[in-house]
Amino acid sequence: MDPLLSVRDLKVEFDTRHGRVTALAGISLDVMPGETLGIVGESGCGKSITALAMMGLIPNPPGHLTDGQIVFEGEDITRASPRRMRQLRGRDISMIFQEPMTSLNPVFTAGDQIAEAIMLHQDVSKKEAWEEAVELLRVVGIPEPRRRAASYPHEMSGGMRQRVMIAMAISCRPKVLIADEPTTALDVTVQAQIFDLMRDIQEKFGVAIVMITHDMGAIAEMADRVAVMYAGRVIEQGRADDILDDPRHPYTSGLIGCIPALGREAASAERLPPLAEIPGVVPPLHLLGAGCAFADRCPLVHDRCRRERPPLAPHGMAAQEFLGGHAVACHAAEREIAA
Amino acid sequence: MTDVATNPPQTAAAPAPAASGPAVEAVSPLRESLGIFLKNRPALVGTAILAIILLALLYGTFFVTADPYEIVWAPMTPPFEEPDYALLGTDYLGRDILAGLLTGGWPTLAVGAAAALLTVGIGILVGALSGFFGGWVDDLLMRVTEFFQVLPALLFAMVLVTLFSPSLATIAIAIGVVSWPQTARLTRAEFLRIRELEYVAAARSIGAKNSRIIFRVVLPNALPPLIVSATLTVGVAILFEAGLSFLGLGDPNTMSWGLMIGQNRGYLLEAWWPVTLPGLAIFLTVFAISLIGDGLNDAFNPKLRSR
Repeated sequence: MDPLLSVRDLKVEFDTRHGRVTALAGISLDVMPGETLGIVGESGCGKSITALAMMGLIPNPPGHLTDGQIVFEGEDITRASPRRMRQLRGRDISMIFQEPMTSLNPVFTAGDQIAEAIMLHQDVSKKEAWEEAVELLRVVGIPEPRRRAASYPHEMSGGMRQRVMIAMAISCRPKVLIADEPTTALDVTVQAQIFDLMRDIQEKFGVAIVMITHDMGAIAEMADRVAVMYAGRVIEQGRADDILDDPRHPYTSGLIGCIPALGREAASAERLPPLAEIPGVVPPLHLLGAGCAFADRCPLVHDRCRRERPPLAPHGMAAQEFLGGHAVACHAAEREIAA
Repeated sequence: MTDVATNPPQTAAAPAPAASGPAVEAVSPLRESLGIFLKNRPALVGTAILAIILLALLYGTFFVTADPYEIVWAPMTPPFEEPDYALLGTDYLGRDILAGLLTGGWPTLAVGAAAALLTVGIGILVGALSGFFGGWVDDLLMRVTEFFQVLPALLFAMVLVTLFSPSLATIAIAIGVVSWPQTARLTRAEFLRIRELEYVAAARSIGAKNSRIIFRVVLPNALPPLIVSATLTVGVAILFEAGLSFLGLGDPNTMSWGLMIGQNRGYLLEAWWPVTLPGLAIFLTVFAISLIGDGLNDAFNPKLRSR
């Protein structure tokens, strides 16, 4: 099967007061039809920039897409005209945002905003669009959709607004839905409901979801495949099960260690392991050297890591199985295999 | 949030009021602000004063039938001396002041409103483009704005009016041309703030184009301070018109409050009323507009109100 959306060696640079820094240093990702790809990493690792690049919304200036391709259904959208891009946005590729409190326009009703999204891409009357908006609100599980369509965002809870946002994003039956930390701002219970809804919608419409998050727990819940990002690079990629069960990169292991143990594991306090953390912070992008960006925080660091950046290499299988396989960019992981 | 007084008492947790009356009435932010405005006493006083002035201008000439340009009695007759001929007295030529006030109000208000519209129109356009696009567009437009900002407004307006012969239109245009920079800066600041908000990114992500984002997404959210500023600009423009007329640069063929002041100012020591009464009319109008503007400001920023 061909990937629906495929990012190849994408390089994005930003002009800052420290000069030009590389936000994405040549990343490659594939999104298969109907799957959920999780992109995980800390703040500043480039995951949101990746999402914006897929939407063709890198702010320019100060951002520049300097190299690579983003191929959607055979078309390189990094070369698409602004007009063509607007056509794709919302219709074929759409996005939901982190802050449902601020991602809806406060001066228009929920129904107005969904209807507007519909009318941008379909030749329908205002009334038909409104009816469709009500139907979409029902699909995303909003009670009394007809009345709620006439509500303003400030009259809704965060979870409800996120549902409206999802309704807007799926209004034109997109093929790819990019979710940038869709539940970070929500209560845990609401978070679970939104995940359920996203799975539901994926099943119903067959939409591929790109889920951007810093939360490995969310990845475990949602993703089929995972790309772990660090300082503008993909450092580990593979099936979610493989990566969660057998993380190869010390950074990925660290992230998984940060999931708080709940339920039975945490039942007795004396057996509760201390919540792990990864020491240090992501290095500023303008100070990155030649070696592995994670070297300063890595428990397994050795000389070679500081000299030479490890490439993203298929791990434990032949290179042609790379896409479905498990790849990691770490000298230590390689050495471990060799041993 | 909702108006407590008009809502029926909530029927305690009625099971699924499917189609029965709306329990939560959708309240648009604008309507909510209107509710706050209507509870603001100074703002209501301002509205009342303005309403009285407008009513007087609308219906006054049915009762005072004198021609404001016609000599009706001896020059400089004080008010209330000849109630049958000139209730509020006459000016230096013997023209009826009351008739002047009632007919001269329209041009004054019209110039004020037209100048304010022009000010807000230019200001919003420049500020919106500047704040939304940033970059060289912003640089260019802001340099132009600064150029107009450093010009002494009254002097520049005087130059414009003398160049293009004083008429209501040229006066309105002159006022508009000199006073838009402030609105432009305000609009730009609002656009700079709002364009970073997530709902603008969300609008982009559904494929909206720039013009749509500017007018349908950013501008409606930038309106509250602009409405306040526009209201206050009407007042400022009326004062400006009066100022120009006082300096003798008003339209000499159209009776206006400013013109009355300007023509009678030479006789101020002999007769105070031909200058003071139109001045009072201007004062009341601008005062009322300011109260309304402040009321709108409070209505749009309820958090600032309880100071």
